[in-house]
Amino acid sequence: MNGANFVVQALKQHNISQVFGYPGGAIMPLYDALYDGGVDHLLCRHEQGAVMAAIGYARSTGNVGVCIATSGPGATNLITGLADAMMDSVPVVAITGQVASHLIGTDAFQEIDVLGLSLACTKHSFMVQNAEQLGPIIEQAFELAASGRPGPVLIDIPKDIQLGDAVNFASICKAPITEKVDQEAINKALAMISDAQKPLLYVGGGVGMAKAITPLRQFINTTKIPSVCTLKGIGAIEHDSDYFLGMVGMHGSKASNFAIQECDLLIAIGARFDDRVTGKLDEFAPHAKVIHLDIDAAEVDKLRTVELSMTEDLKHILPLLEVEISIEDWQQKALTMKVDFANRYDHPGEAIFAPALLRQLAQMQPRDTVICTDVGQHQMWVAQHMFVDRPENHISSSGLGTMGFGIPAAVGAKVARPDDMVIAVSGDGSFMMNVQELGTIKRKKLPVKILLIDNQRLGMVRQWQKLFFDGRYSETILTDNPDFVTLASAFDIPGETISTKSQIQDALTRLLESEGAYLLHVSISEEENVWPLVPPGAANDKMMESLQ
Amino acid sequence: MKSQLTIESQNSPELLERLLRVVRHRGFNVQTLQAETTDNEQNLHLSLTVYSEREISLLTKQLEKIFGVTKVSLLAQQAEIKASA
Repeated sequence: MNGANFVVQALKQHNISQVFGYPGGAIMPLYDALYDGGVDHLLCRHEQGAVMAAIGYARSTGNVGVCIATSGPGATNLITGLADAMMDSVPVVAITGQVASHLIGTDAFQEIDVLGLSLACTKHSFMVQNAEQLGPIIEQAFELAASGRPGPVLIDIPKDIQLGDAVNFASICKAPITEKVDQEAINKALAMISDAQKPLLYVGGGVGMAKAITPLRQFINTTKIPSVCTLKGIGAIEHDSDYFLGMVGMHGSKASNFAIQECDLLIAIGARFDDRVTGKLDEFAPHAKVIHLDIDAAEVDKLRTVELSMTEDLKHILPLLEVEISIEDWQQKALTMKVDFANRYDHPGEAIFAPALLRQLAQMQPRDTVICTDVGQHQMWVAQHMFVDRPENHISSSGLGTMGFGIPAAVGAKVARPDDMVIAVSGDGSFMMNVQELGTIKRKKLPVKILLIDNQRLGMVRQWQKLFFDGRYSETILTDNPDFVTLASAFDIPGETISTKSQIQDALTRLLESEGAYLLHVSISEEENVWPLVPPGAANDKMMESLQ
Repeated sequence: MKSQLTIESQNSPELLERLLRVVRHRGFNVQTLQAETTDNEQNLHLSLTVYSEREISLLTKQLEKIFGVTKVSLLAQQAEIKASA
């Protein structure tokens, strides 16, 4: 068996049945092994599409996603996706071909130092230097990608090692680590929770990554502590949970942001005090003591000094923190804020109001629909106005904010969960950034639904230009966009354009009931903005709600 | 604030680069550096002095996370370094 066949066998041993990639010279031996190797490969139409499909696959299932690319430009095209996976802690293993060992460092054709390039955007990266290393490195890569705080791992394999004889490798069966929970910390946390008058949960993506949704919901059920979530935390708490106030931060709900500013105990669970959450850090949760639960010790005291931290597995900690407490006044306050600051969908005129459109879609879509978004205004409207009850059903590039993410992520999610509806919500700017992945949808006849919200602008940048740059719309006007419905039809994707409220119901029905892929192109006014907005450098309770 | 650190790790060709990238990216400047491999090139021992306005734990926690790093020790900070000079 050669090295390339060994890699395919190792993928199967790690229960990988699906990979995403793009072939090229230095990875040809691996593609030869994939030809009849028993692992399904989906050809994406750009390596960035492949890595983002692997992310969509990983995020929609909780399993490791795998992507493959060749050396040089193939590898450099992965970088943005690896950075995305790094920022959002997504378990991805990327395999790149490298020129043959004797050519490394000679500026050979399609040679680039991908190991060096990967240092800033992977959890770890390996270059295989000899056949003996191949087995242990693949095993370590899968272990690293999925364990602790997950993340992307890159394996660079020179062509001669793919072609050379493989060396058998006896897998090391590691004894599971039994984690001791710090009882003293638990006792202190219980005392802090019991003493608090206005405790608040600040729930991030770490809860879903830790597969701790059930313990979190049980904890909320017992304590009845009000809660807010981050963009990546959407879905961890049921949307209709009594005291759940929605997303917090720059485009968070008023109720969430006010609650953060008023609480006296903030329990951060799998969250990292990102600047889009905290606003002005010095004034974030100014009255609160903080308990920080996160598996990554480097996140503790990174931005906010906390009173207590625990870095054990959330599944083990949360059940030990369940305590019944009496906080009726605070709960009542939360309920009042929820009602007083509820989203409003009344909107004058016939033009389509994107928040109301997305609300209606959320009401009409089947249960367990996966929503993949691109980046910009539409992404925030999805976060604010759609409701999701599983983190795996809301796939949004959160930390890196990667435009072009939505379509390939939806491809990966649809391959991973063929029986569930997958909808990509995109904007006219983002859509064009990985538009070639319509070719992947066509190739596999993937029934991915696309809702393209088009304001002929780079809307979020335009909004900031309007608010903070005196309306100088530098390079954000896209009135020369292509005809998107015609473009989709070139990939055998039917579609239609709507622009008035009266068209919404029927068009959404056609989108959801179409047999294959479908593009619903929605024209909206460029004047619509995302509200509320915490301006840069302001505290979270200083929200702008209109242009006035 | 100056901080004097030692880092013990399993050696790999890119490890020094990996460590120094984290030092720079997290906002620390290297003032002195000594690196040597031990145990037949299997391990790498690093002694360095770094300078930053930032809290040193922000760096040490990031270094401890790196795959292959076995121990990060903070030997001294500015006052002690000055006293011994």
